[in-house]
Amino acid sequence: MSTQTSAPTKPKNKQRPLVLVPHEHRKGGPVRGERLTYLVLSAPGLLLLLLVFAYPVIFAAWQSIHDGNLIDTGSFIGLENYTDALTSADFWRATRFTLIFTFVGVFGSWILGLAAALLLTQKTPARTLFKVLLLLPWIVPVAVSAMAWSYLLGTPTSPIPQLFTVFGMQAPLFLANPTLAVITVCIFKVWISFPFMMLMSSSALAAVDPGLYEAAAVDGASRWQQFSHITLPVIRPATLISWVLMVIFCVNDFPTIYLLTGGGPVNATTSLVVLAYAKVFLNNEIGEGVAIAFLTTAALFVLSIFLFRFIKKASVAE
Amino acid sequence: MTEPQTETAVQTETAVHTELVTLGSTSGRFQRAAASDPRRGQWWRFLALLIITAIVLIPIAVVVLIAVQPRTLGEGYSYPFGNIAFVLQETNADYWLENSLIVTLANTLLAVVVAAPAGYVLSRARSKLVAGYSVSLFMIQAVPVITIAIPLFFLFAALGAVDTLGAVIVIYVGSTVAVATWMMSAYFDTIPTSLEEAAWIDGASRFGSFLNIVLRNSLPGILSVAIFSFLLSWNEFLIALIFLRSTENYTSPVGILTFFQQFTTDWGGVMGLAVLMMIPPVLIFAFLNRYFSVGGIGGSLAGR
Repeated sequence: MSTQTSAPTKPKNKQRPLVLVPHEHRKGGPVRGERLTYLVLSAPGLLLLLLVFAYPVIFAAWQSIHDGNLIDTGSFIGLENYTDALTSADFWRATRFTLIFTFVGVFGSWILGLAAALLLTQKTPARTLFKVLLLLPWIVPVAVSAMAWSYLLGTPTSPIPQLFTVFGMQAPLFLANPTLAVITVCIFKVWISFPFMMLMSSSALAAVDPGLYEAAAVDGASRWQQFSHITLPVIRPATLISWVLMVIFCVNDFPTIYLLTGGGPVNATTSLVVLAYAKVFLNNEIGEGVAIAFLTTAALFVLSIFLFRFIKKASVAE
Repeated sequence: MTEPQTETAVQTETAVHTELVTLGSTSGRFQRAAASDPRRGQWWRFLALLIITAIVLIPIAVVVLIAVQPRTLGEGYSYPFGNIAFVLQETNADYWLENSLIVTLANTLLAVVVAAPAGYVLSRARSKLVAGYSVSLFMIQAVPVITIAIPLFFLFAALGAVDTLGAVIVIYVGSTVAVATWMMSAYFDTIPTSLEEAAWIDGASRFGSFLNIVLRNSLPGILSVAIFSFLLSWNEFLIALIFLRSTENYTSPVGILTFFQQFTTDWGGVMGLAVLMMIPPVLIFAFLNRYFSVGGIGGSLAGR
């Protein structure tokens, strides 16, 4: 689907003029009021985006250079909040966890999602049923699935840890041991996100020309060779886009982490976003919390612009 | 991980196929079937899918299984589905679900109403400004919710709007609109301008052709945006956690946390509410899943 919708628009985009073409020169365009119509049509969306994004981001920038709390706006302190954040162990710990969480979240869900999509592209009994059932982890509210996971492995007496004792092992503390908690949260994220990657991969796979496989099969290419030389290169642009989106989803993810572990034990699963929340709403350190949120936003901006350019280059090269 | 299996299956299949061809005893239709969907591979895939699905669904099955049990904690409700009856009658769960529904339906409706015209502009207008708008919509996607939540909390506190569903709805619509605009625009791109040109010749305005031609033919695109907005707001947690302060104003994802006491957790109650929270999104996907394509999101990113 993705390549289907993008393919026809691509050549059109290249011809897009960079300045407004006077409407009387446009083929078949209505004579009057076109610009005004466009303005009116986009006004509600623009106003909302100004209120919900532009204003908060600007105000956050202002807050991040003041030492305010929930009651008082505080005085100007320059970049102290940033230096405080950048020199604190909490911040780097949260950065490390965010990177691990994002890396495992993106590639774990991609591999599982692509595998499921590959299994589902070919004819299988009950294919549609499988497709819908496998979407469930992504559709169900995170609050619900976090409850289910906590029930299954939250305490040493929960069903899954008890399963280990059946085999004579000690019940693992999935959410109380720092290392295990990191692993558990990452697996939880993969479980939630792989259906999204499955959908993205499915729509990309649907656009692969079956004739390519037939030709490769005639030339004696093995299944693996067909996969690595045909499937992967063809779905590459869609894959890159799904990675970018998942990086954004992972870095910005609050509920997955907060609902399962609350950032603990001993802050082992505190991501940058969770840290920013805790600073502002639990510790009343507005300036530093906002500074952390701001640094995260800036990093994502830089990353997404970089990746966006990269994707554009990759899709132009196709 | 299933590659080796499928590989051998395919090799066997190719062998069988060649054999059939040399025998020349089968119809062309059967040969084609044997080549394109090998029956051996079909069962391997079925088994693999069965195992993956079974493992993946364990947490969801657990929610359903516990919810339908008779209630064990406290007095009464010790009959099947008692946990569900308990949360609806003894807790604020009915408020939470109602609030979730109000917020979700409002967001779904408003997101479509705001994003459809904006998406039309993105799809049809060509200018530097529009290109900038398109890029900024992409950037907005990357802004963490927490970044906008903190300043907005102060703004709404000053306006006395904290702890109201209206505040939450405004933020939901605002944060849905960027992607929704993109999705609408991607759909509008598939509707040929020539259709509109015919109407313009007949004297229709831009706005008229948008309403009567483009929008009228965009039901799948609109549904796709609606489903997306519905899911987003039904499942949202962080904004609701920050902005909704009193118990009866909670939406269900925040409300469900109240079942956790310091030393005990009422798992029956948790799962009773959890099952109710699962119903709307599951129903929507069961009936409308063909209208939902994430490909639209990716495609709109690649196309611009």
